[in-house]
Amino acid sequence: MDPKGSLCANSTRSSSLTSPVNALQTNFPSDPSSFYGVRIETPFKEFNLPSPPTQSVLPGEPNKDIMIPDQENCPLSDMSHASKLQDWNPSAMLNNLSFLEEKIHQLRDLVHLIVNKKCQPFGQPHELVTQEQQLVTADLTSIIVQLISSAGSLLPSVRHTLTNTNPLVGQLDQLHGINLPFGSDSSSGLRSQNNSGNKLLDQSTQNDPPNNCEMEQNYNMEEHEPKDEEDIDEGEHLPPGSYEILQLEKEEILAPHTHFCTICGKGFKRDANLRMHMRGHGDEYKTPAALAKPHKETGSEPKLIKRYSCPYAGCKRNKDHKKFQPLKTILCVKNHYKRTHCDKSYTCSRCNTKKFSVMADLKTHEKHCGKDKWLCSCGTTFSRKDKLFGHIALFQGHTPAIPLDDTKGVAEPPDLQNRESNNSVGSNNFCFGSNPSSENAVQNMMDVKGNIDDPMNYFSSLNFEGCNFGGFNEFSQPPFEDSEGSFSFLMSGSFNYAPKFGGGESSSDNLL
Amino acid sequence: MEQPNSTNLFDHLARELICIILDHLLRDDDPFAAKSFSQVCKSFHALESTRRLKLKPRRLEYLGRILKRYRWISQLDLTLCPCVDDATLERLSLAWSSSLRRVDLSRTRLFSHVGVSSLALNCTCLVEIDLSNRADLTDLAAKAIANAVNLERLSLGRCKSITDLGIACVAVGCSRLRHVGLRWCIRITDFGAALIAIKCKQIRSFDLSYLPITEKCLHHILQLEHLEDLVLEHCIGIEDQGLATLQASCKSIKMLNLSKCQNISHIGIASLSKGAQNLEKLILSRSLVVTADLAKCLQSFPKLQLVKLDGCLGTMSGLKGIGNLCASLKELNLSKCAGVTDENLSFLVQTHKDLEKIDITCCGRITHASISSITNSCLRLTSLRMESCSMVSREGFLFIGQCQLLEELDVTDTEIDDQGLLSISRCTKLSNLKLGICLMITDIGLKHIASSCSELKHLDLYRSSRITDEGIVAISLGCPLLEVVNIAYNSNITDTSLVSLSKSQKLRTLEIRGCTRISPEGFSNIAARCKHLETLDIKSCYKINDTGMIQLAQYSQNLKQIKLSYCSVTDLGLIALASISCLQNLSIFHVEGLTSNGLVAFLLASQSLIKVKLHACFESLIPHQIKKYMEARGCVLLWRDKTLEASRWE
Repeated sequence: MDPKGSLCANSTRSSSLTSPVNALQTNFPSDPSSFYGVRIETPFKEFNLPSPPTQSVLPGEPNKDIMIPDQENCPLSDMSHASKLQDWNPSAMLNNLSFLEEKIHQLRDLVHLIVNKKCQPFGQPHELVTQEQQLVTADLTSIIVQLISSAGSLLPSVRHTLTNTNPLVGQLDQLHGINLPFGSDSSSGLRSQNNSGNKLLDQSTQNDPPNNCEMEQNYNMEEHEPKDEEDIDEGEHLPPGSYEILQLEKEEILAPHTHFCTICGKGFKRDANLRMHMRGHGDEYKTPAALAKPHKETGSEPKLIKRYSCPYAGCKRNKDHKKFQPLKTILCVKNHYKRTHCDKSYTCSRCNTKKFSVMADLKTHEKHCGKDKWLCSCGTTFSRKDKLFGHIALFQGHTPAIPLDDTKGVAEPPDLQNRESNNSVGSNNFCFGSNPSSENAVQNMMDVKGNIDDPMNYFSSLNFEGCNFGGFNEFSQPPFEDSEGSFSFLMSGSFNYAPKFGGGESSSDNLL
Repeated sequence: MEQPNSTNLFDHLARELICIILDHLLRDDDPFAAKSFSQVCKSFHALESTRRLKLKPRRLEYLGRILKRYRWISQLDLTLCPCVDDATLERLSLAWSSSLRRVDLSRTRLFSHVGVSSLALNCTCLVEIDLSNRADLTDLAAKAIANAVNLERLSLGRCKSITDLGIACVAVGCSRLRHVGLRWCIRITDFGAALIAIKCKQIRSFDLSYLPITEKCLHHILQLEHLEDLVLEHCIGIEDQGLATLQASCKSIKMLNLSKCQNISHIGIASLSKGAQNLEKLILSRSLVVTADLAKCLQSFPKLQLVKLDGCLGTMSGLKGIGNLCASLKELNLSKCAGVTDENLSFLVQTHKDLEKIDITCCGRITHASISSITNSCLRLTSLRMESCSMVSREGFLFIGQCQLLEELDVTDTEIDDQGLLSISRCTKLSNLKLGICLMITDIGLKHIASSCSELKHLDLYRSSRITDEGIVAISLGCPLLEVVNIAYNSNITDTSLVSLSKSQKLRTLEIRGCTRISPEGFSNIAARCKHLETLDIKSCYKINDTGMIQLAQYSQNLKQIKLSYCSVTDLGLIALASISCLQNLSIFHVEGLTSNGLVAFLLASQSLIKVKLHACFESLIPHQIKKYMEARGCVLLWRDKTLEASRWE
């Protein structure tokens, strides 16, 4: 590839490179234990294993599944990201994409070669410690990094979106969009892009597990933010008639996809994702006009404020109710309808008692489940100590319940270990640490490091509130002993996830 | 066995009369008196068994007999028993379930919340329990305490593992609590302290020293209607700003201790003691600067009697302001208070003529003028502490005799001479006299004291090197009540002194450290005659040998603590000491005749040991099992690598 292309990627990296790390994390279930499990068990094999099958399947498929939950919760980011779309450089992007395609083809050929030559079962990873495998590893890493990098370049000022709402989702959307044309064509390969990939790895190496968790939590918080809107608009008192009332039908509300490709019929939750998808169907869909957000053009006329009504008759949110309180957004409608009028199908796997109909609610709960350590003798639990003491002060004879074992720390939930073992099932016969490829990876990273001017900038530009990037201070210190850590981290993020959430047709529905 | 002459004369005494006598004996808390009484005859023995209410056992090996003999014990002090397990507690709680009211477990370990629980559940009339110094007791123990619904006094000092949760259980369960001590319970915060104040409305005294509390809990505490004593020592979370937000005020409070609260000033004190009309004692040790503003703040307490400003920085205007208080102080502590001068101290004492206790320790700037004004105006003075007031000339001490009510005088490390002692001898009620490092005094002065101060109980002559036997003999003759004598490092002291001191029947503590001329024969007088001896320091009395130890073992059965470093004691003497049943503390360094075998034999044989200080060279010589065993028995072995002070051997 021409140096210009890579330069371009580099120039945008300050805003884009950071995204993959976080984007991948966001897709993890909120329980950090599973994340650890994945990380510790070095699920590199999972990365290697699915790679040959990717040839037959559309490579972007797993990623798409990952995105779905976020997408659902954050329609707002559509707007923000779409508005940024004008800024990106299509020619550079095209360069990147064609490079990626070419790269993937190369890789596919290589893997084919390996498969044909050896015909070995993939469950014997210790025997896979070969030169080919190292190559595959390095290439795949490079592809992923480039992919993410390209996705990021779609959104040059990540900083702003991040501070607004759900930045990840926007990035992921684009990532997804870029993924789609992946498997189709090919062009000539290039090595130089490895650099960016390795840099990315460097950064991910710096992500200590605690940081990961924190960021992850932070994102979960953001994900669930829209949920509150339903509550916020409680106080809204628009005079009747000053707004337009829309009422979606039940099927429409519960539909997993609302946007469909007119060519292949594939469904999407977001229009932006559809537009990204459409690009794969031909060059006419790649023009800025085709990619621009449709509403934007018609937005000049003054419009009535839109408010939504719940289709459920008799509900206070139904327009026929005499004390009708409209819902503010479609998301509010969806969440309200599911919470109020649907079965609570998501059960908390920790306490096995709490049930939710909205996935985000379950995630929120799971974060705090088991943390209600302030228990009164009457059986009431409190998440805060002052609440418990207020309760005790108020009621006669109530005392704090004192645990018999008298351990003060939050006990590890028993199912946590099960989860870990589940996660490790697929990966425990592969040992990355003994793999020579890790050394190569380290070497690459070391070479590349000189190119990075000020790695801290990448992260500081993110403006993560409440995130602790303490680990990044060590960024410029040379040795990266746990290269497998960075690999597993990156890989597990993208591949381990697919079986978890994409494990069936219903799964995407569940994630709504 | 049947006695031939069955006419016991004591049987003719009226039972009521005997009971009155016995109660009188028991009230004095003299174990010997009670013991003698019970040994008179069977009926006396039986009577003593039933009338006895207090018990302070040395060991619990004979618990069965104790339980059988004394059925009505209400006050149990287990401080001499380092190891009390759950089973023991359960047993005695069952035996004395209807009588036991007070239990002191502050020096005891080994028991857990189970034992506490059995005490609290079985002894329904338990009103007082002291569980201090059990850093390992958890909230479960606190929960167990909560079963004692009648509890009125609870001490949990240094129970560092008890948290807000535990104390909340106590607060809810023991609603009749009146005295709560939570000193050093560092895991108790505002929540726990506030909950006690909310649930236990009867609280009289509340000690929250060293807790991480803020004004949040004080808001509730100040609403207690009966609160009298509030101790907030070293509560550094309490600050002026927070205190300013307090709305509540406590009118009943009498004592406020804000020692070492470095984050408060007079503003905080003012907001904390708002409306405290009855405040009598204010302790501000090592906390703030004594300013005019503070003095102004103190004006609002008309009943103030005691002010402690030790370790504070005193300004001229502040100290003078205290002199202008409308209240008449009875006790004033200005020790180590920088800024105390003749001028402000004289001014101060002139207005507070009722002062009974003055502490001006280490006030290096005051001279005889201050002493003159103190003695002229404070005629009711009972206690004067002026250690290290080095600027006070010998004339200054001549005034002290004017305070004829003086009971306690500390003139350690001053210029006092025999003329001063002559003056002091006019204080016939003197019971505590400290003359340490007074290099000017001689036997003549001591004779003055001996001739008139017959009530002297404590005498400290540490390093007052001009003292000889003559003075000590005079003191022993003139002061028959002597209990505590320190004549350490007086090289002129010989056996003669000990012979005369051995006549002091009440002698409890004797320090003759570094009196190198004392011979085994001289010491044997003390060992054989002073039966009440509890603490003995014979370090560097090189000549004292096994004979002395054997005699101690034979006669001084009350010895609790002995320091015998550098003595000529061997294994034999040490093993003899093991037979002293209440020996608890021991310090042995550089005792040449001691071998590890002898030491082990002693450790194994001595039953009540709590702390033994030994030279580090023995640490490797003592078998590990022995160490384990001693630890299990509640004895701490402290290994110190002290260097040999060779110069003493000359």
